[in-house]
This record gives sequence, structure tokens and C-alpha cells, in this order.
Amino acid sequence: MRILTLVRQVLDAQESVRVVGGAVDLEGRKLVMDTMDEYGVEEALRLRESGTDAEIIVLAVGPNRVEEALRTALAMGADRAIHVESDVALDAIALSSVVAQIARAEQATLILCGGQQADWDSQALGAATAERLNWPQATWTRALKLRGTTLIGEHDADQGSESFELQLPAVITTQQGLNEPRYPTLPNIMKSKKKEIRRESVAAFLVAPKLKLLGVEIQEKQRLKRILDGRDVHAAAAQLVQSLRFEARVIA
Amino acid sequence: MSTAVSPFLAKRASGGSFLIEDLRPEDIFTPEDFSDEQKQIADTTTAFADNEILPAIREIEAKNFDVSRGLMRKAGDLGFLSVDVPEEYGGMELDKVTSALITDKISVSGSFSVTFSAHVGIGMLPLIWYGTSQQKEKYLAKLASGEWIASYALSESSAGSDAMNIRARATLSTDGKSYILNGEKMWISNAGMASLFTVFAKIDGEQFTAFLIEAGTPGLTVAAEEHKLGIRGSSTCAVILNDCHVPVENLLGEAGKGHQIAFNVLNVGRYKLAAAAVGGARNAFRDGIRYAKERKAFGKSITAFGLVQEKIAHCAAGIYAAESVVYRTVGAIDAALAGLDKSSPSYMHQVQKSIEEFAVECSILKFWGSEMLERVVDHMLQLHGGYGYVEEFPAERSYRDSRINKIFEGTNEINRLITTGWMIKRAMQGRLALLPAIQKVMDEVMAGPGARTAYEGDLAAERALLDNAKKLGLFCAGAASQKYGTDLADQQEVMGMLADILAEVLVLDSTILRTQKMAGKNRLAVQLARHYAAHSFSVVVTAAARLIGAVAEGDVLRTQMAIFRRLAKHEPSNTVALGRSISAAMVEAGRYAC
Repeated sequence: MRILTLVRQVLDAQESVRVVGGAVDLEGRKLVMDTMDEYGVEEALRLRESGTDAEIIVLAVGPNRVEEALRTALAMGADRAIHVESDVALDAIALSSVVAQIARAEQATLILCGGQQADWDSQALGAATAERLNWPQATWTRALKLRGTTLIGEHDADQGSESFELQLPAVITTQQGLNEPRYPTLPNIMKSKKKEIRRESVAAFLVAPKLKLLGVEIQEKQRLKRILDGRDVHAAAAQLVQSLRFEARVIA
Repeated sequence: MSTAVSPFLAKRASGGSFLIEDLRPEDIFTPEDFSDEQKQIADTTTAFADNEILPAIREIEAKNFDVSRGLMRKAGDLGFLSVDVPEEYGGMELDKVTSALITDKISVSGSFSVTFSAHVGIGMLPLIWYGTSQQKEKYLAKLASGEWIASYALSESSAGSDAMNIRARATLSTDGKSYILNGEKMWISNAGMASLFTVFAKIDGEQFTAFLIEAGTPGLTVAAEEHKLGIRGSSTCAVILNDCHVPVENLLGEAGKGHQIAFNVLNVGRYKLAAAAVGGARNAFRDGIRYAKERKAFGKSITAFGLVQEKIAHCAAGIYAAESVVYRTVGAIDAALAGLDKSSPSYMHQVQKSIEEFAVECSILKFWGSEMLERVVDHMLQLHGGYGYVEEFPAERSYRDSRINKIFEGTNEINRLITTGWMIKRAMQGRLALLPAIQKVMDEVMAGPGARTAYEGDLAAERALLDNAKKLGLFCAGAASQKYGTDLADQQEVMGMLADILAEVLVLDSTILRTQKMAGKNRLAVQLARHYAAHSFSVVVTAAARLIGAVAEGDVLRTQMAIFRRLAKHEPSNTVALGRSISAAMVEAGRYAC
């Protein structure tokens, strides 16, 4: 079987975020593979290691720099990569069309991708891709096994969790806790040098983003700078609880 | 040749030539030349350091060696311990830049860094370079996986820098099957967790020889852990040999030629120490900036204050210069190794010869790098105020941990003597055209003020400073040899001053060339280079003035000072403005960034 995993790039969590000209400034900043997508790559590797004969294809859509993320996935153990070159950011719906077309062309039967994207946070990509392909999907997955052509797993529901079974072909979106992604080992980094990255132009996929990002800004929470007078300890405690509950809304 | 990970190979250069040759930016290797694979390897190493080492620091520092051993196993699984191991023994045999890069990025804990370096460096290299195929087959795989830890036992209570003076003795047993070793080794890194020791002893009190001894061999005892100022989570013990029987097949290399092993691994140890100092400095710098950004005084972040910014900028410029000189040197070593025939039976010998060619650079990296680190940990501790003095914050540990770097791998004093001594020796042998260069500078300065090379571009003033630093170096070398001739080696203070000038010339040269190679694309780099140049030149000028004061008097002194003033003359750059701008960029990034 073929497993397609989608990887995206985000700012390293340790980097400070700066907005220049209405966009997050990436100049000189460290970009990494989105952790959510890393879970996807790792899960594909684990499915293979647990006995499934699978070729793992890793896909990224974006500018040249995304090849770094592809190389990371290859060094983790993916077999080959496809880079759909695009300087325009695609929204989740447009992106799902590219993913679906590639899945068809490559005859993939399992698509793994991050549920979120650390810098965007829509849950639309997996669902839209599944709909385009008319495949079943499982979201927020935190455990997965493959028996024959049946996926057996667990995922989070609003209250508690559900276990599920679904038939391939299918789309799975990941979440924290699914696995602990491995580090690329040095021998695998060296080996990945020889693995293929196929480049395609986004133009061939006839997609256009319907959503245009006009600007971004960093929200800074103004501090209330209130000091509770502690002369009456009991009154101060009551006041604190009151403020945390109704003003800051951090406790129920 | 080793597997080249770099697409870019530096120009072949000879050791010590930095003082008399002007290289072009495209001739040297810089951190901007790292290949995609090297960057990935660096990322994996950084992830390992941040996610595995840093969270374990408390346990490491408490000498919980199971934790350190566990980390070494993980390091082995990831391939960090097989970088210098030949492919035929399951290793990767990558280039030295990659190896230095791993050392750099893994160095977030002084203690673990020493465990790691003592293992892959002095622990494994003697076996890799001198082991028989039987010895390598028996031990290398276990060391490369981290299952076994290696330790190197040379020093004794009365033989440190003067290592040839060891008293440990080996005697062949009457049945000729083993050597019987007796003696006591001191300050042995990794001793408390090692499975294999490389021990030096003199056969019959004469032939300096290395032996491989497995832990648990009767007669080999590891004494209690030393209580150290820093790197407390590393193991340092005395190793006692009491009629320890070592099978003859465990003699390493040749009897009586152990000094080659002892000296050649030192060169690698020295440049790797500098690579570790870069990593340690970056880590301490990040801790300092993080604290400074949080800390408010007089209603604002302390990063808003000039004297804080000055420290930040000074440290950042030091780290930038350190990266420049470390990777330039290791890149030059790779260029030399690339020309070797790996299938030749003398390949391992050629490797060592090629590295030894850069012995002077290795010594400079050692003392200069450890002192750069010392400045950074000191300034970063200072940013913490009182919190820098308590164990709650990492600044205190980094400060203590850095101190050993000036002591081991040859004290900084010994390495200064080696630096100047090596240059003089090379010049005397006619292998380095130092004498004609000195003569040329002497002629030039005696002829009076002449036209200076007019540079253009961002670093015009700094390139002129570098020219003059080189001339001051040559002039001082000339003045000192005129006065003392071949007795110069006995004038240790003068040798030390020359070493300081030589170091600054190498570091500044590397810093400027690296920055030029970026071709103005990085404004911050230009600022860092300019800031470093101002500091560097002041070191050169101070050392040169002290040297002239020590070697000349009367009319000679007056003449030499006239020359000195001409060469030292320059318009100072605005280091306050540069410093503020550099500091702002670092504070914004929250770490060292360039």
C-alpha cells in the first residue's frame, strides 16, 4: 500500500514572533515541520514497522523552503517526497484539492495529516480531503493499528474517547499523544540524501485559494495591574476568586 | 578520504599561514557553507540536547551515572558516537566539520559534554587510529553504540603537561603473555563509568606505550570520585594499577611509540574543545538573555540599559568570531584530508599528519576558545545579579563548568607556548616563510610611513586593522627574536604575548573573511565583525606594547615605539552604537542569532 503524509512548516516554537508589513516575518527565523504533521509521518513509519508493506510518500505544498521539512521526513524514514511548488499560500480547501489529486495519482490508500496547523488552527484539511475523495475519516486520532485493510484506532470525542474501525482508503488526522516522533538518525540523514524529491508546479492542479489573508497582528493581553489589599486576608481571597472567575475567566 | 558531507571544500592551506598569507573569502569554510545534511545533523543534535540532555541536568549533576549512560546509549542510537568510526567497522566516517558541529550543538551541559567528548575523542580515537583489526573488531562497535564508555588515562600526580614524565611502569610477564602494569593515574575523565581504558605506561621504565585495559581486569581499581568545582556530573577519578595483567595483544600501537598517540589525539581534542566552547557559550548566552528580558529594574527591562547591552554585544561578537575561526580551521583540515587516499595502508597515519599540520591553529582555538567562553559565562552571570550566584539558575553552573576548559587538553599557558614555539620552529625549518615576512615588515616600517592599502566596503576599516595586526605580530616577532635569538623559548611571558597576537590575527582574519563571504547580505554579521575587530585590535595593541617594553630600552625602545604607534594608529569605531544595535537584535531573537 501507499501512505501519503502531508507536512507543513511552521515557526519553531522557541522563536519570537514578529510582524512586518502585515505578515509574520520569517526572515532569518527557524522553521520546523509542524509537530502535528510529525505525528503523521511517525505514525506512517510505525504502521510499516509493525508489518505493513507500505511505501511512504511525503508531500508538501509551498515555496522552496518547505523542502527542508521534506528532508526531515525523508531522514525520519519516508521513502520519497513530492514538492508542489507554490509561492501563494493555499487555504485548507484549496490545499485539500492538491492532496486529493496527488493521492489519486499515486494510488495512495491512507492519508495522514496534522489535525491542526500550529499557525492556522483550522480542522478543515482532513475533512475536505476525505470529502473530495469520498473516503471515511477519523480525526483527533490518538491510537492507530492496521489489520489487513481495516484501521483500528481511538480518537477523542467531545466528552471522553471513542474507539473506531474503518476501511481503507481513509484519511486520518493526528493529535498530540498519538506517538512520540523519532529523531532522524545520522545514518538515515545520510541515506536520505539519495531519496527522490519530485517537484511539481501548483499551476497543474488548477487550484486557487478562496481565502485571502489580509493581515496579522500579535495580541497582547493588557495586564490589569491590580493589587489586592491583603489586610483582610479572607476578603482578599474572596475578591481574588471573584476576579479569576468573572473577569479573567480562568476558573469555572 | 572521509565521507564529505559538505559540498564546499576550502582551499588547501598550510598550518600557520594565516599570519603571512591573505586568503580570499571564497577560500575558507564558514558556517554559512554547511550542507543540507550538516544542517539536519545539527538540528537532530540540537533536538537531542534540548529534549534529552537539558531536562536531565539535575540528575546528571547529581552524578546519577545511569542517566548519563542512558544518554550515551541514545547518542549511540542516533549515530553521534560513530561519526569518526571507519565504515568497515560500522561507522560513518563523516568529515571533521560535521563532527565539530555535533560537538558544538550537543554542548548544553558542561558535564555531559565532557563525558561525550572524552568518549568520542581521547577515548575512541587512539583505538581508531592505532588499533589492530582484532582490537577494533573487539571494541569499536561497543563504543560506537554507547554500550561501553571509553576513558583515557595519561596524567599522573606529577605528570600533567609534562606527560612524558609518567611513572607508571609495564613489565613483560615471564611467560611473555601479558604486561604487568603498576602506577597511579590522576584526573581520569569517565573513569567511574568506563568499560575500556587507554592507559599509558613505560615498558621497563623507558618505552612510553599505550595499553587497552578492560574495566574489571584484576589489578585495575578506580578510586573515589573527585569533588570538583565544575562539571560535577562528569566522572573524574584516580585509576590505580597494582600488578594489573594486560594481555600482550592489548598493547596499542607500537611499544615505545605511545607519545605519538598521546600527542596526536590532543590536536583533535583541542579544536573540539573550542567547538564545545561555542556551544556552551551560545547556551549560556540564551540563559542570560532570557533572564535579562524578564528582569525589570527601575520600571523597565534591564535589556534597556546600556551597560547590559554592552555585555550582550560583547558576548555575541565573541560567539560570532568563535564560530568563524572554529569552522574555518576545521574546514581547512577537511580540505587537507580530502586529498588523502583512503585505501592506502598509511591512511590513518596520513590523517594524523594532516591534522598535525594545523597544530598551531588547534592550540590557538583551545586557549582562545576557552577564554571566549569564560567571558561569556561571566557576563551572563553578571546579568543575573544576585540570582547568578545561586544554584537555582543555570548561570552559576555554566560559570563553574567553563573553568576546566582553561586547564585540560593542555593548560592555556602550555598552549600559548606551543603556539609561538610552533611558529618559530616552522620558520627555522624554512617550512613557513615567516622570516622573509618579518624582514619585509621591518624594511617597510624603517622606510617610514608609506601608502596604505585602501579598502572599500563595509569592513574597510576593519581590514586595515587586520593588516596592521598582522604587521604588529611580525614586527613583535622580529623584535623579540632580535633580542633573544634562540633563547626566546625561555621568555615565557614574551612567548605568551606573541601567542595572544597570533590568536587575534587568526580569529579576526576568520571573522572578517566569513563576513565578507556573506557579501553584505547580513547587516548583523557586519556589525558583529566590526564590534569584534575593535576588541581584537585592542588586545593586539596591548600585547604589542607590553612586548616592546619588555624587549627594548633606550634608543631602540624609542624607535620601536615610533613604529608601534604608526601601526597601532587608527580611528576608533563607535562600539557603543554598534553594541546597542547588536544587543537589540539578540534580545529580540531571545538567543544568539546571526
